[in-house]
Amino acid sequence: MAKQISFEYDGKQYTLEFTRKSIEMMERQGFNINDITDKPMTTLPALFAGAFIAHHRFVKRDIIDEIYSKLTNKQELLQKLAEMYNEPLEALMEDPDDNEGNALNWEASF
Amino acid sequence: MGSEFLTPASQISYTEIFYEHFPFYLAIGMTADEYWNGDCTLTRYYKKAFEIKKEQKNEELWLQGAYIYDALCAVSPVLHAFAPRGTKPHPYLDKPYSLTKEKARNDKEAEHKANRQKAKAIFEAWAATLDLPSKKGGKDNADNRRSPNRNNS
Repeated sequence: MAKQISFEYDGKQYTLEFTRKSIEMMERQGFNINDITDKPMTTLPALFAGAFIAHHRFVKRDIIDEIYSKLTNKQELLQKLAEMYNEPLEALMEDPDDNEGNALNWEASF
Repeated sequence: MGSEFLTPASQISYTEIFYEHFPFYLAIGMTADEYWNGDCTLTRYYKKAFEIKKEQKNEELWLQGAYIYDALCAVSPVLHAFAPRGTKPHPYLDKPYSLTKEKARNDKEAEHKANRQKAKAIFEAWAATLDLPSKKGGKDNADNRRSPNRNNS
């Protein structure tokens, strides 16, 4: 099951998710995940808006920006969005035998 | 420092990678809609299922090879150029291999039971041909054989 973020706003239930199609659409519109460190002020809201494409394609950008401005704990939200954005790619790159045999495990101290 | 990692190769867009892998998933049975609009983790399960299918196919081919080998062994006596006249091939397996442990055990038990029945029938047929004394007569004979010993004591 793909990673999702759910919340209710103005009596409507929203489910945020990234599909390969939504990422393709975002990149076609000029979105580049590598800009997240150089241009965070434009990239982060765009990343949030892109998560609406899969299930709520026709929600207006004004409403998305309004929701974004009201959401709490943005630091964690953006971290989760980045994880969700990477998931369609990770699911392709993963080797099914990673957990068996000669896989080399690693861990970070932070 | 670290800019050496930012080669054009590392800046390939996600879209390019998605299109690169797309034909593979189409080939293993995923629909275009599932790939682009469905749950992104589905690709993991399609890939795993593909690995399982490959494994099954490999086992099927191995099994086929085993049957062919058995068939060749069965006919090998007549394939011999200098085989004596009247040589007949061995019969082919009378049933397929048992693929599960339970079926193998059941087949073995059934074979043992059939062998026991056969042995019993042969023994009974043999026993019927013997001119054995009747039960009563047998007892009398036994008494007669024992009586001299009794007299001696």
